[in-house]
Parts: sequence; C-alpha cells; structure tokens
Amino acid sequence: MTMNRNLTRRESLKWMGLAGLGAMTGFPSLSLGGDAPSGHIVVVGGGFGGATAAKYLKRLAPSLDVTLIEPERRYITCPFTNLYLGGVRSFESLWHTFDELRDELGVTVIHDWAKDVDVEGRRIQLSGGESLSWDRLILSPGIDIRWGDLEGYDEAAAELAPHAWKPGAQSRLLRRQLEEMEDGGTFVLVAPDNPFRCPPGPYERVSMVANYLKNHKPKSKILLLDAKDGFSKQGLFMQGWERHYGDMIEWVSRSNDGLVMRVDADHLEVETEFGTIHKADVLNVVPPQKAGFIADRASVTDASGWVPVKPRTFESQLVAGVYVIGDATQAAPMPKSGFVANTQAKVTASAIIADLRGLPPVDPSWANTCYSLITPDWAISIAGVYEVYDELIREVPGSGGISPMDVGSVFRKQEAENARAWYAGIAHDVWGTRSLS
Amino acid sequence: MNLFLKRSMMAAALICAIWTPPNASAQPSWLQAEAIQAVLQGAAPIQPGVRLDIPAVTQDGSSVQVSIDVDSPMTPDDFIDRIHLFALDNPSPELIELSLTPLAGKASFTTRIRLDQSQTVVALARRSSGEWLAAARDVRVTVSGCLSREGTYRSEQLMQARVRVPGQGRQGAPMEVRTLIQHPMETGLREGPDGAIVPERIIERFEAAIDGEKVLTAHLHRAMAANPYLLFMIAPERSGELAMTWTEDTGVAATERASFEILR
Amino acid sequence: MLKRITIFEQKWLRRAVIGLFAVCAIASVSGCSANAELQEYSAPEPLDAAAEGLSLFERRVEVIAMSCAACHGTDGRKATAIPALAGKPFPVLNALLLAYRNDQMPDATVMPRIAKAYTEEELRAVAEYFANITPGAEE
Repeated sequence: MTMNRNLTRRESLKWMGLAGLGAMTGFPSLSLGGDAPSGHIVVVGGGFGGATAAKYLKRLAPSLDVTLIEPERRYITCPFTNLYLGGVRSFESLWHTFDELRDELGVTVIHDWAKDVDVEGRRIQLSGGESLSWDRLILSPGIDIRWGDLEGYDEAAAELAPHAWKPGAQSRLLRRQLEEMEDGGTFVLVAPDNPFRCPPGPYERVSMVANYLKNHKPKSKILLLDAKDGFSKQGLFMQGWERHYGDMIEWVSRSNDGLVMRVDADHLEVETEFGTIHKADVLNVVPPQKAGFIADRASVTDASGWVPVKPRTFESQLVAGVYVIGDATQAAPMPKSGFVANTQAKVTASAIIADLRGLPPVDPSWANTCYSLITPDWAISIAGVYEVYDELIREVPGSGGISPMDVGSVFRKQEAENARAWYAGIAHDVWGTRSLS
Repeated sequence: MNLFLKRSMMAAALICAIWTPPNASAQPSWLQAEAIQAVLQGAAPIQPGVRLDIPAVTQDGSSVQVSIDVDSPMTPDDFIDRIHLFALDNPSPELIELSLTPLAGKASFTTRIRLDQSQTVVALARRSSGEWLAAARDVRVTVSGCLSREGTYRSEQLMQARVRVPGQGRQGAPMEVRTLIQHPMETGLREGPDGAIVPERIIERFEAAIDGEKVLTAHLHRAMAANPYLLFMIAPERSGELAMTWTEDTGVAATERASFEILR
Repeated sequence: MLKRITIFEQKWLRRAVIGLFAVCAIASVSGCSANAELQEYSAPEPLDAAAEGLSLFERRVEVIAMSCAACHGTDGRKATAIPALAGKPFPVLNALLLAYRNDQMPDATVMPRIAKAYTEEELRAVAEYFANITPGAEE
C-alpha cells in the first residue's frame, strides 16, 4: 500500500479545518468524509478494548447504531488490582461505569452475558433470552482460565488458592488472605508460561505484596515459582527488589525447577517439575489462560485457544465480519495489556468505519505503555509502538524500550506519578471516568 | 533399485495420490536445504510422518519448547532409530540428533531450542527399515515488547543436573523421564562485556542407559537453549537403574542415576 | 498565546521552553526548517472540506492522535502529572514532540521511546490535531 507521508500545506489546512469544525460542533470527529455510514455494530465486553471500541465508533461515526454487551454494571479493572492487594489503593478506585457511553455517546448498553454466536445468521444470543443481529461484531472478551491444565487447579481450588487474575471476588479473597497471614509466613505466587494476560503482572504483584509485608509482616517471605526462564523488565524488577526488599523475594526460574506441575489447594502445596514440594501460607496461582469463552462460541479461536486476526484490521482470520481485540487475540509482539486493547479498539473502529464507507483501512499504529510499581514511589515502564510491515505486526524499529537501569529515585518516582496519571488518563478515555487524578 | 527405495517411492506416490498440493510437482523448499540433504542423501521422506509440536508464534526465541512424536511400535523389528531436528535459518541449522532403541518404548521427546529469527523448523525421523519421515513447521519469532530478558545462568550451578524418573511403572507402559542440566550453552557467536567473542562451550552429548543397555543418545548443537532440557520415554521390561550422563565439549561429564521398580 | 501558556503547569512550561530551545538549537545546526516553521505558523482558516473526505494520511494521523488519549485522556483533555494536550499552542506541541524524538528532553521518561516511532510530518500533524481541539474544561 502506498501512502502519502508528506503532509502538504494544503492537506494540513484541509485537515485542520475539519478539526476546527469538529470542535465547534462538540464532536472532534475528523472522519466526516463521504456518506455517513450506517449499520448496527455489536460490541461484546466492556473492558479496555470493548468500551473503547464502542466509544470511538460513536465518536468517529455518530450515525452508527452501537450496542455494548457487558454483564457488570460496575467494571473493575485488572490494572492496579496489584496496588489494591498491596494496600496502597482502594478497591473502589478501580470501579468504572458505563454512564458516559450510554448517556453522552448514545451507545445502547445491555448488562447481560453473551451466550452464543450464530456467525452465519449474524446473531448473538444473550443469557437473558434476548437475541441481537449485527452488521459487524466486535469481541473483546478478555481471558478465561484453562481449568484443569494445571493438575489440581480447578474452580474449587481457586476458592482456596486464588488466581486473582480476573478482578472481583478473587481479588478480595487474596487481599483477605494476605491480611490474615501471620508474620513470618510464606506467600507463594505461581507464574505461567507465555502467552498470558499482562506479562509484567506477576512481578508487579509480588512487588506490591512485598510492600505490604515489609510494612506489616516483615519476617515473611515471598517465593515466585516461574514457568519461564525470563520475564518482562526482569533486570529492573530484580534491581528494585534487591534495593527495597532485600532478600524477601526469591524468584525460581523454570531451569531452577520453577515449573509447577501440580497444585494441592487443600494443603496449600505445589509440586514442581522435578518433584520439589513447596508449602505456602498464602498461595496465588496464576494459571494458564485462553481467549474468553464467547470467542470459542464464535468459532474464531484456533488450536492455541487464542484468536488469529488480520493484522491491519483485527478482523478474525476465520470468520468474516467478526473483529476481535484485546487479550484474546494473537497480536504478538504486542503484549496482552489494557493499553494495547485500548489502541487496538481505536484502530479497529477506524477500520470498520472505513470498510462501511468502502475505503481502505489506514496503515495502523498501536501503542503500549506498561508501568509497574515496585514501591508506591518507585516504578518502571516499558513502551512500544507497533505497525504492520510485510503484512505482519512488528515493533517500529528504533522506538520503544524500557526505563533505564542507571537512574536514581527521582526518575523512578516520576514514573510512579506517571503510572497513577496514566490510570486516570486511560479511565477517562475508556469509561469517561473523571474523578481520578 | 533396492527394496527401501521402492517402498519409499510407493509411499510417496500414495501420499501424492491422497493429498495433492497446489503445485503437485513441487517439493517443499526446506527439503532442498543443505543440512537436510546431508542427512537424507536424496531419500524422499514421507510427509507429514512426524508430529512436530512447536508454537506458531513465540515471544522468546532464546528458549522455544518443541515436541516430537512419531507413531511406531518400537519393537526390535520396527522402531524409530534416529530423529534429527533443524532450524533452517539459524547461524547453524543443526539442533539435536537422537539415536533411539526399542527400550524407549515410544519415539517421543520434548526439548528447548534457540531460534535466531522467524523460520522453518524441520524434524526428520528414520525407521529401523531405513525409511525417512519428516515434518516442518513455520515459527514466527517476536521479541515481545513486554518480554525483554537477560541471561539467568550462574556459574556456581554449572553442570548441576536435575532428573525426574518415576519410581514405579508397569511393564509395557512407557514412563516419562525429565532431565535438565545447568549450562549456558555458549554459542561462540556472542560478544562478552569486553567486546571479545565468548568462546563456544556446550553440552555436546547426552546418554541414557538402563543397567548398561542404551535407551538413547543425543548429540546437542550450540542452538539448543541454555540449560538443556530433555523429556523422553523409557519402557523397561524389569526393575533396574537408569543412568544419565551429560558430556561437555571440554570432556567434563556429569552422571545422575535413578532406580525404578517395574510391576508386572 | 501568552494567556494560553499561563494555564500550563509549571513543569510543563519548563519542559516546553527546554523543548523549544532544543529545537531551535537543532535547527540552527542542521539548517532544517523548524525555525521557519515556527515563524510562519498562524491560525488556519477553517475550510469546508468535509465533502472532500480525509486522505489516508489524515486518517492515520487520527489513529495516532487517538492513541495519545490512552495517557492524556480523550482528546487530550485530562490534566494530571501527565499534561493535557487539548488546545495547547501548535508551536509548543510540535517543538516538544520533535525534541522528544531527537532526545533533546532531559529527564523525559516514556515520550522519547514513543515519539521515535513517528516521522516529523506525523508528529507535526499530531501537534496540529491537539492544537485545534477547543480546550474547554480540563477534566
């Protein structure tokens, strides 16, 4: 595809004129060209991907009929649940509503479970009995746990050894267990192999748990049993752990027998690949994952359990007219993060509108920034910008990267402030949340 | 024309009859690779005769898990005696060669390899009759934005081995053996902190034997992942002891032993 | 313009000044047109261009600008430790983005890693996008 990368004065004026016009009408939508597109877009999932998709479809093309299906009236984010677990943020600060989408943008919000998808008839069934037809379907279903993949870890086991990898009751359970643990106890976190939701998540979690234990139960230990030999931002995490928590956190790599093969939730024990038994006082198992259930029902998953998509638009490779975004997709090298789901939603909204207008999709650009807090005042980050090259997604050469290793506390504190500011910014962008700062 | 060639041609003809690719006369290009031809010597392998399980996309090329499984009765008359694994676009394509005996019970193993870039991974397996089987899989390697990593090797653990052998099994039911040895598998391609090339230093050989009787021997090349990992099967007839020996290219060796009981 | 700048937070203003300085320094060394661009710039005349539609480039810039909202809030209206972008003067936004891209911003955290992914033309267009959004109340 050829593209004019040289913005001429003429084009920039035309474009700025449009921007001005948009601002005057209160809708800074720039995609006013051509006929107003029409059609019914159904979006499943009200998280970072789905809520953003619904919002930007309406902002870019107010003439579209957009329905969002999300079971929860109050959405709880996975990002920052680690801060709640560490006792540095309230659970309520992670709650968001769909008021902006419904009241200000005119999205039809239905609080129900999507139960089944008829891809040929282009209909979706809801648990409540309702059935909707669509012109385009966007699935942003997040992840489901692969129950049974890890021996001994089923839904009953998760009530004793929580995963807390989908926020809600599981997060509260794990927090309560940490509060009830005695000083001198051992917190064991079992980290999965790739791919999984939020690659730095397990490592931020032990950081935040360490922050809590250091202040309240300083004799306690943390054991991180890993199915991998390396992890996201590893050098930065280990540097931070050593500085702030001494030898409280022990990371066991796969090659050092970190791979957990069996969980005994009744006795809070795990057994590793080479037969070592570890006993926990609080056991947090982050289990193997797959695309959210409705992706299976829509026949868009492959043998890996994840969803292959066309890189330019995120339309399913298997079912035409069905688009999938967020953690459920195979979008490597983009990580499974809330930030990525947000930018995927925008690219896909733009692509669907272009398609409805008979226009080609743009050369997309996605971005990611993941902050991880090691203490409330010491954070590290990784950023990446992604593009399509040779019909595959890649990181834009020369861009992206992690925080430098050799900086002091001022830089790390700035990133910690930026982390909180990022959360406020993205919550504003996804759900219109205005109360955070 | 010998019997083997005739058989493989018949087999090839049969495969073509069942499965006609878009360009039926074209052989896959990986078959022509020098490293593959050096092993096949012109033989036409049955494809796909091997189950090659490797992720289509991997976010960490420094350690990619791969499993090979070949249907075979593994009897003295008919067994898989060799398995080769290649990554065609690595600086050197050879990964590992396994030589097996019927004592393995099952022609199946899992290991971890390094992939320098997106490329085709090829497995070749030879029947004791001499016939070759093959499979190839394309693997895309991306270094995920969230997955930058460093080495995890510590020198004090060099040559420290871990094994897991079931203490008990049933006659005729193959048992799973897991092995791992701490080793950096220095490729000889990497620059050290002083800018000089770190010399090649690898585990080059692994042998497993039950009471002196060979189960398998593996030749490892430099593109095997650090801390070489091998999962394989054994199917002993009677109780005994499994001895596993790793040998470094310096000649240094480490041995682990585990005894097991076989119930009839 | 002066009145607009007074709404900037202290840190933001300091960075902007450093950024402008940096861009001027680069321009004077490399002879590129950044200086000329700053002087030439004036508020655009709104055009009734809706019927013409947007070029591929403009739609791509729109997608890039929308990704900024993941930290800066929708339309860049969220003011936190991460500054709002809506309605900030084009020369300031443009100079900052170029300074990030060219590693001319001391103490910057993620922005240099992000800005390097885009061409100067794309960054200029993104600066125009946010400069042309009516600021309104920051949220």
